[in-house]
Amino acid sequence: MNLLQPERLDRLAREYALGTLQGPARRRFERLLREAPLTMRVVAHWQERLGVLAAGVPAVPPRERVWDGIEQRLFARSRAAGRWGWLSSLFAPRLLGGVLAGVLLAAVALRLQPQWLDLEPKGETLPASYVGLLVSDAGQATLLASSRRHGHTLAVKLLQPLDVPAGQVARLWALPREGPPFLVGEVPARGAATLALPDSAEKLFSSVARLGVTVEAAGGDARTPAGPFVASGHCVKLW
Amino acid sequence: MAGDSEHPMTAPDDLGALMARVALHDRAAFERVYRATSAHLLGIALRILGSRERAEEVLQEAFVNVWHGARGYNPSVATAMTWLINIVRNKSIDALRSGASERRSTGALDDDAFEVPADPATEPQQMLDASLRRAHIDACMAALGAQQRQALALAYYKGLVHSEIAQQMGAPLGTAKAWVRRGLDKLKDCLSSRGVTV
Repeated sequence: MNLLQPERLDRLAREYALGTLQGPARRRFERLLREAPLTMRVVAHWQERLGVLAAGVPAVPPRERVWDGIEQRLFARSRAAGRWGWLSSLFAPRLLGGVLAGVLLAAVALRLQPQWLDLEPKGETLPASYVGLLVSDAGQATLLASSRRHGHTLAVKLLQPLDVPAGQVARLWALPREGPPFLVGEVPARGAATLALPDSAEKLFSSVARLGVTVEAAGGDARTPAGPFVASGHCVKLW
Repeated sequence: MAGDSEHPMTAPDDLGALMARVALHDRAAFERVYRATSAHLLGIALRILGSRERAEEVLQEAFVNVWHGARGYNPSVATAMTWLINIVRNKSIDALRSGASERRSTGALDDDAFEVPADPATEPQQMLDASLRRAHIDACMAALGAQQRQALALAYYKGLVHSEIAQQMGAPLGTAKAWVRRGLDKLKDCLSSRGVTV
């Protein structure tokens, strides 16, 4: 039975979106959605149409304890730690693993390729630098970005290739702590590149908390990210 | 959030931009998404589950998933509000059908667990009419028979499956299925004649 036959797919998609698809058939269809992502678009069309029906449902503000519960479940560790929350969150096992992996990777990379960070000592002190290690959804180190503090370029190294279909490009975005994301530049699907920065790294990245990469249509409006982040990570001032 | 019943969401662009930040685990953006959408989303869960306690559990679960799963949100496939509604509806429908939450609420005697009192504004047919008026497709959808509209409303607002719709409306299963199908076809036609190209 071919679930991908257009008419059959449309019928399943509408029933799934509405909710009338049930039991094993619903589970089978959810599996298909994961395995054949394009089918998700058919479902999304129906969800968008049905979304019109949601507009007439009277709103009911949830009690404040719902938000408290969400915070408790997601951020209990840092809340309990109060002003030292950021410190304790550094020691959260998952993050600590990531930070250690990042430091290790950066150390290995710098030992092998010191020019990435432009770190060849030029005097008694090393220049402060901004570094970002971006990790994919699957937790794999994907992209290393680095810049000298007063440099006007950003070195980018792909640690594993990005899946960039024809007609699309990978874009690197900076996410400031406050304010909207801004485009840093386009990055190659593999290998390394040097991106020219419109200003010094210090001016651009001092308030940036994270970096993220999207894969989106070439051209188009590059003012805001137009796709999900395929990799992201902290942007840190290394030294 | 008094204005929420009229405008249950921030501008779609704002919400999309906020979701991009949530994907990067920006907590302030996450709270703004919650404040902007939770009343509307709770309303939807409440109609399906019929109990505030259970609907709030689903809402909480949904937002925990939003935090962890925001990277999976693709703005080129769906608007942020549609994506959120979809998470909440699917969770509500799963909770409704699993029966687990029903067992939990049995014996719970605090007021919150009681059935939501009947209110004409939350009758499926009323909510359907109000939604169609807002989308300016009420005249177009009026071509549908009352039973077809009722079947569509029961499926969408109450999360009922075909057999339950048939039972509730006292119709054969095949007839109930046909009513729902017809309702969806007409919704699609009416939206495209309004220039909505989804």
